[in-house]
Amino acid sequence: MLRKEINELLTETDTETPMGEMFRQYWIPALLASELAEDDCPPVRVKLLGERLIAFRDSKGRYGLMDEFCAHRGVSLWFGRNEEGGLRCAYHGWKYDHTGQCIEVPSEPEESGFAKKIKLRGYPLIKIGDVLWTHMGDKDSRPPAPIWEFATVPPEQTFTSKRWQESNWLQAMEGGIDSSHVSFLHSGGLKTDPLFRGAKGNQYNENDKKPVFEVVESEGGLHIGARRMAEEGHYYWRVTPWIMPSFTMVPPRGDHPMHGHFWVPIDDENCWAWSFDYHPTRALSKDERQAMMDGYGVHNQYVPGSFRPLQNKDNDYLMDREAQKRGDSYSGIWGIAMQDASLQESMGPIVDRTKENLVSTDNGIIMARHRLRKACLALRDKGVMPPGRVPEHHLVRSAARVLPPDQPFKDAMKDDLTARPGVKQTSV
Amino acid sequence: MPHDSEDMFEADNATRKGRGPVDHPTILGGCARAATAAEAKFRVQYPNSAPRISRIFALDAAAAEAMYAVTEDPWNDAHFLTLSAGGKIGPDTRAADLPLSHPDGRAANLLDEIAGADMVVLLATDGSSEGAAEVIARECFERKIMCAGLALGRTRAPEELDRVVNSMRRFTRVLVVAQDDDYIPAMLTALRA
Repeated sequence: MLRKEINELLTETDTETPMGEMFRQYWIPALLASELAEDDCPPVRVKLLGERLIAFRDSKGRYGLMDEFCAHRGVSLWFGRNEEGGLRCAYHGWKYDHTGQCIEVPSEPEESGFAKKIKLRGYPLIKIGDVLWTHMGDKDSRPPAPIWEFATVPPEQTFTSKRWQESNWLQAMEGGIDSSHVSFLHSGGLKTDPLFRGAKGNQYNENDKKPVFEVVESEGGLHIGARRMAEEGHYYWRVTPWIMPSFTMVPPRGDHPMHGHFWVPIDDENCWAWSFDYHPTRALSKDERQAMMDGYGVHNQYVPGSFRPLQNKDNDYLMDREAQKRGDSYSGIWGIAMQDASLQESMGPIVDRTKENLVSTDNGIIMARHRLRKACLALRDKGVMPPGRVPEHHLVRSAARVLPPDQPFKDAMKDDLTARPGVKQTSV
Repeated sequence: MPHDSEDMFEADNATRKGRGPVDHPTILGGCARAATAAEAKFRVQYPNSAPRISRIFALDAAAAEAMYAVTEDPWNDAHFLTLSAGGKIGPDTRAADLPLSHPDGRAANLLDEIAGADMVVLLATDGSSEGAAEVIARECFERKIMCAGLALGRTRAPEELDRVVNSMRRFTRVLVVAQDDDYIPAMLTALRA
């Protein structure tokens, strides 16, 4: 249960909201690099944290992200011409560079310098891995560029997708740290999904449906450990890291690539679910990459030409009651990503947390909300920068391992939970 | 599933087998599209849970101090209990002999306290009360009561915190390691204690 005012504090991310300000302290994923594939390519409309923006890549390969609307008459620059080092409004030809600075107002004498007086709000856009990242906060407090492992391994070792989720970011993110739903909602996928099946650890999941949880605070967020019984009194641990505000990873299975997510607010009722797969030490196989493109694992299929999932609320997510009856999927919805999204969207755009009835196994969620609230208020009231901004906090991994019963995972798996270039993931 | 994209797009826009037109539900509330803000006002408003019976045990003096800071808050039916000082408590200690007391100093009996409880929370800042943790957790286990542990570690050295965690690990279904005492009210509020 969460009081109404705290629910609003954590879920509202437009400008001048406390959580909106907090998100603006981080580099967040804005677009797939493939959306701006070449110089002078068509501009792309982007909505982030309640702001309508336009992204483009100019003639010199510089990325720009700025207010979508021309300062002259409020026309959308999506209709504009991306040419000769800037984006030109299609209405009267006003032209802007990649920072949002107006560089040409054709109706005014060039010598007047009028263009210099016009500036659209612009944000930096940098390419790291498959992702274009932006920082929408104050330039003076801009953190160093992100160094998440999925974005820094060689291109052949990583794959990233994004999908539109029709819900607030927080309920989507909470799914990423809610380890107790896996034994139910995703139980079918462990046997059939090509990016999960075949791992020895799956058997532990099958044999022990009542995991025990340990939630441990870390500098950047949390580690949520789920332990199940293994052989000879040992424990099979699956550990999920959460880094503030919205980065999560799924514990790995066998030698399958590792998965994770970013949950980024579009506005208060929509978010981007970013999903990535990578292997720290080898290239993804052709079959693995194809499976990801086909929507397996944490990915999904799309309505062609969009980032809207093909299974969506307009078609009841293509519910298959026969598959549910057969046990192919627990909820009758195909695919792990859409199993999560369908249920999270069904809660409503912003779930009313005053009515929920949490139980002890929800402590990962309770702690995450607690830390978000504290960080949000510390930033608002004291100007304290929130955790998760510094690159050291990005060097995390999920891990799975069998341990003797007397070894705390936070110590025994410390190295396993740290991203180490060239070192394979710890997995069972 | 999976269908190829064309098949699925077809399904998206046309019909599903035997279910009628996708885009034209009889009423909005009859399909997943009902998950809109406008439809939220039609959610039935009523109290959907009875008050929980929670019992919180502070296993050492520092944990008791942290707990006392919140006992005056408006809780539902939570009892806050501390282990009285003195006397060695081992796993063989009988439940009835566990020296417990309420914040006002009244003595308490473990079995009376957990009778009918929905949730038990153990608070600890050091590993000194492993025996008491085992006694309480054992009685909870026998009565199918969920037992959670909260290790408070703000001022503790890592090795000392490990002792706390290890002392509770065997006995709790959920174990939380929190750096600050303010997680106590946050957790208890979230769990409707």
